[in-house]
Amino acid sequence: MKTTYWFIAASLLVALFFQNGTAQNLPSAATIVQKTHDRNDGDWVSQDLTFELIDRRGKKRVNLTRSFRKDYGEEERQSIFYQSPSNVKGTSFLTYDYPENGRDDDQWLYLPALRKTRRISASNKGDYFLGTDLTYEDIKLGPKLSRYDYHYTVTGTAEVDGHKTYLIEGIPKTEKLKKELGYGKIQAWVDTDIWMIRKAEYWDVAGNHLKSLEVKDIEKIQGIWTAQNLYLINHKTRHQTWLRFTNIDYKTIVEDDTFTEEALVNGL
Amino acid sequence: MKSTLPILFTGLFLLVVIFNKSFGQERPIKKNWRDNLSFSMVAETDFSYEYKNNRLQKAEFILNPEWQYKFNKNIKLVGIGRWYMDATDNLEPGKPIQKSATSVLDRRSFGGDRMELELREFYLHSRIKKIKMHLRVGKQQIVWGETDGLKLLDVVNPQYFREFVLDEFEDSRIPLWSVKADFSIGNWKAQLVWVPDQTYHVLPDFSAPFFPGSLVPNPPPGVEIKFNQAKRPSNWITDSDIGLKLSAFLGGWDLTFNYFFHYEDLPVLYQQLEFPNGEGPAVVKVNPNYERQHLAGMTFNKPVGNLTLRGELAYTFDRHFSTTDKTYEDGITQSDNLQVALGLDYITGEWFFSPQVFNNYLIRKVQAYNRDRHEINTSLLVSREFLSDSFKSEILWVQNLNKGDGMLRPKLTYWLKSNLELFLSSDIFYGNEEGLFGQFQERSRISTGLVLGI
Repeated sequence: MKTTYWFIAASLLVALFFQNGTAQNLPSAATIVQKTHDRNDGDWVSQDLTFELIDRRGKKRVNLTRSFRKDYGEEERQSIFYQSPSNVKGTSFLTYDYPENGRDDDQWLYLPALRKTRRISASNKGDYFLGTDLTYEDIKLGPKLSRYDYHYTVTGTAEVDGHKTYLIEGIPKTEKLKKELGYGKIQAWVDTDIWMIRKAEYWDVAGNHLKSLEVKDIEKIQGIWTAQNLYLINHKTRHQTWLRFTNIDYKTIVEDDTFTEEALVNGL
Repeated sequence: MKSTLPILFTGLFLLVVIFNKSFGQERPIKKNWRDNLSFSMVAETDFSYEYKNNRLQKAEFILNPEWQYKFNKNIKLVGIGRWYMDATDNLEPGKPIQKSATSVLDRRSFGGDRMELELREFYLHSRIKKIKMHLRVGKQQIVWGETDGLKLLDVVNPQYFREFVLDEFEDSRIPLWSVKADFSIGNWKAQLVWVPDQTYHVLPDFSAPFFPGSLVPNPPPGVEIKFNQAKRPSNWITDSDIGLKLSAFLGGWDLTFNYFFHYEDLPVLYQQLEFPNGEGPAVVKVNPNYERQHLAGMTFNKPVGNLTLRGELAYTFDRHFSTTDKTYEDGITQSDNLQVALGLDYITGEWFFSPQVFNNYLIRKVQAYNRDRHEINTSLLVSREFLSDSFKSEILWVQNLNKGDGMLRPKLTYWLKSNLELFLSSDIFYGNEEGLFGQFQERSRISTGLVLGI
């Protein structure tokens, strides 16, 4: 009996030693979050972006867009122009993403049927973007982690598709943020070398498993690590979204007038 | 006029290309010209059943082909056509007479009573990099304003009233041969508009289901009314419309200030009482005439929390109105006219709520025909998307508070495929039959159709 106690105590000490040892080797959550922002993602990029939306019965909707992003210091501007099918052609979306905590983004949506640009409130971060399984906040963040909205904990390391990642868990800082974001908890697997999210899991406000994200085909394009395919599945609705990025161009300068309301009206 | 506008716009097209080439010096995007040409088309069917009269109101088949040729990344030529067929020949019976409201270049070609072809848009869009200007020359739609459903500043292009205001504005707006230049002045953006094309609102014939009788004064009982044809302005220089829009993004506010010197798109109905055979019977001769006016306005919008506040103001100087005041022998009086609209957009989850209030106020105390000095219309749009946006339900409610008439427009849309929509809708008019909406009570309908993107 005495031997058993000693064995348990020794095991606990060993476990504690290894856990501490691992924790000491892990970077802080703040470091990981910041690294996802510091990563070189180019000062601008233009690319074709295909949205493939599949409902629970397997019915597929495919929208082809051309999208642009440009950095203005820490401010980021993005525009997306729908190219096909022809009944949604001309729909376009513009967003100004400000770095200041608490400052809402500015967003505009151009609807060709009205030939008018609608200003959209950016307060509802948790609303879903044009039928996809991505929220407006997900679209805005891309492969980065929010710097302001979550309390993070680094829980360990794991391998994803043969790549070493840090597993980081985030809980929204306030109940209000929980509701705004639509998430009660997130987990992200961040690549330890290139600081991109390779995988993420999301739970809703009630704590139910909501959706999963897989970031696929990460390759260096024109010297910049780039995700070429994103896959999301909503576990509640069984709805799936594929985002496929092609014709990615970090070299050709994206002109400033790509990010104006007139650009939305004029189209590509 | 017949030959001037085509020459003018051919010359402008050439100038734009030469100007762009010398400034931009851009090479074609792709070497093979065919690769720079794109084609798409939207095909629609729309069947409406007038349930109060147990009859088919329309059976439309529409093709909207669009071509786009990109010379390089700064210059493109866009052409949009429309083939339209209404198998019932009900909305515009026979072949409409076009010359009183439509310039030669905007006229539709009719194949019998049921079919028509129209060049909807044909323009050259050029981005002149060196001076940071976007120049669009040709037949096009220029849309101003913030409001939905009712128009205040969206008056650059006239519209077809074949279906009153039920047709999508995208389809009912008549594109005009015009020039639009967008450029920057410091932090402000300017848009200059020149419209040398004299085409105005196209109203359906008196016998058509959607003839807006509430706008035309009734003669006294026993008096015959005789309409003369409208005299359409015809000089492309002196009769052209010009406009300027200045816009800025200041402190989170989207602001525009607009000015438009233009002909009102509805003719003023000057009246003349005559006694052809000496003492009687009397005949009221109506001489429609287009009148010029100055329009100044502004728009604004800003998100406030979950809401987006938006508004539009239009002030028209010396606007003409038909009057019931007998002291005006020609039946026309004038007043400045102030229109102010305010709207709120609220999005929560998949729900969208958009209430609007429209005020229309006559600055002078005049007895305008069939309207009060202060008219108020309200509207409420509620929509919800389901099944990851593949199913949409919406309802638009417009109400005139003065006469108590209005319309309700529920609609269900289901995307069978990415490029195929099925819709089921209804347009219900109610209230005072002298009101703008109430006059069409008998026209209330239920509709269904398909929209296919090719």
